[in-house]
Amino acid sequence: MLAIDAADLEKTYTGEGAPVTVFRGLSFRIEEGAFAAIMGPSGSGKSTLLHLLGAIDRPNTGRVQVLGRDLAQMAPRERARFRNENIGFVFQFHHLLPEFTAEENVAFPHRIAGVSPGESRRLAGELLERLGLGERRGHLSRALSGGEQQRVAIARALARGPRVLLADEPTGNLDAAAAESVFDLLAREHKERGMTSVLVTHNPELARRCDTIYTMSREGISPEVGYPGRG
Amino acid sequence: MGLPGFVALRYLVASRKRAHVALISTISVAGLAVGVAALVISIALLSGFQDHIRAEMAQRGPHVAVLPERGDRLADPAAVRRVLEELPGVLSVEPVIEGRGWLSDEEGTHATPVRWRNAPAGALPPASDDLPPARLARGSAGRIGAGVGSAMRVTSQRTRLSPIGPIPVSLLVRVAALAPSGSDGAPDLEIPEETARVLAGSPDAVRAIEARLADASRASEDAARVAAALPGHRVETWRDRNAALSFALRLEKVVIFATVFLVILVAALNVVSNVALLVVEKKRDLGVLTSMGAPPEMLGRVYLVLGAVIGALGTGVGLALGIGVSWALNRFELVPLPGDVYVLSHVPFALHGPELVMIAAFSLATATAAALLPSRAARRIAPGEAIRLSR
Repeated sequence: MLAIDAADLEKTYTGEGAPVTVFRGLSFRIEEGAFAAIMGPSGSGKSTLLHLLGAIDRPNTGRVQVLGRDLAQMAPRERARFRNENIGFVFQFHHLLPEFTAEENVAFPHRIAGVSPGESRRLAGELLERLGLGERRGHLSRALSGGEQQRVAIARALARGPRVLLADEPTGNLDAAAAESVFDLLAREHKERGMTSVLVTHNPELARRCDTIYTMSREGISPEVGYPGRG
Repeated sequence: MGLPGFVALRYLVASRKRAHVALISTISVAGLAVGVAALVISIALLSGFQDHIRAEMAQRGPHVAVLPERGDRLADPAAVRRVLEELPGVLSVEPVIEGRGWLSDEEGTHATPVRWRNAPAGALPPASDDLPPARLARGSAGRIGAGVGSAMRVTSQRTRLSPIGPIPVSLLVRVAALAPSGSDGAPDLEIPEETARVLAGSPDAVRAIEARLADASRASEDAARVAAALPGHRVETWRDRNAALSFALRLEKVVIFATVFLVILVAALNVVSNVALLVVEKKRDLGVLTSMGAPPEMLGRVYLVLGAVIGALGTGVGLALGIGVSWALNRFELVPLPGDVYVLSHVPFALHGPELVMIAAFSLATATAAALLPSRAARRIAPGEAIRLSR
């Protein structure tokens, strides 16, 4: 079964200057349970594609289906609930909310889902404990190292047990050791949870450890080039 | 606490560490506090005066009055008196004998028009000589140079027949007391009942009969009972007689409220800029919360709660300040009034619970409404763009 089925996507940004078309006619499909890496030069639209797949942005044309649901057909509330229940997002710069502790950041998805504050914190604490961040649960995000921040961000993305994990250069801002550690965490959680994971990265070493590699360019997204991780 | 409140409070607490946001937040809270305090003090001032005026109205005047439906004399004053005397808790029943005339000194060199009426029993000091005692309003006394002890001539509009034809009724009174100015509706000259009957030109001339009650608040009920018992009469309560003044007092309060409330409205503009600044500052957070599944209305509520919290802080501080200042001004009589001009020795301030609640509610509602605009902006933020542009 397809976890992600995006067809004929076009995305054009219209800001103060001339409109910028990031991609046009782009199609992208991933089987459920796959661990895919997307590579490509800066500006090729990797992050934009991830935003479209994660329902936090909309294509100008084309259709995005995630877990069999057409995102464009959903009302805003329904789309929000779908994101909360099914999609986890990890950003390059962690994007933790700086006024809140690690535990509170990880508890946010539960709170948004309507889980009580106490239960949300308990669940968040358990997850942080499992990811080796139990001692840092009460720290504000700015008191954490870069690697810890990204691990907390991964915990936040995993909090609701999503079926699809979208990670936008999660190791791009880390040194080699921290990047390795964060990737290991992602790979381990992917395996244990049986999620569909899509990872945007510039790091070919890490990409090769994924099941599938896609390459994006101005011309579109290439067909997969193999299964290096299984080689 | 819901998620919007949780996030809003944390934003507000954390904003203390960012100088520019902290400054604007402080200005917002201080602006609202000043507006609320100004409103509390203004309304307390008005309430103080108005409570005094109402107490005067209830204390000085009669509570129920029976007048003829037509004409200026009661047909059967005795029957009216009986009905009024049967009212529960009636303190006194007095006839009203009044009229207009001229007051002059004994030589007739200075004169002033006056409205005279009989004084309630026991209200006048005892006579010091053969002349009937009178209480004269300070204003009238000043116009003709009269003082306590002066003998004055009262000439009524009524006439009596004499061998040379009708001549005005006239008699001498001794000024025994001066009445303070400023008592709205009070007669210029109060004289004993017998003297008033002489000036009225008829021993049976009674314009109305008035009753004072132990409980002035029962006046309307008692008036209805009297009206049922005395068809063909007009029954008025002290509230009816002061309806215009009461309306003016209420109107005065509304106008002052609306005027001083403008301060709160201006302060609310600070709340708009304060909350809008936080929307812009936290744009990335809004995008991140959206990526976690927060619906737009939840994001909007964060900023509405923020406005409400700023409003609550400003309102709380303003209420405390206004109540404290009003209490101190009243308790220690810090604003004196010249006693020879006003009946009060100091400006009174009165705090009424319902008015304080209304001020607090208006202030809170205004601050929260001020956050509507930035809250709407927060709901409309495109999450993808917020995250993309915050890299």
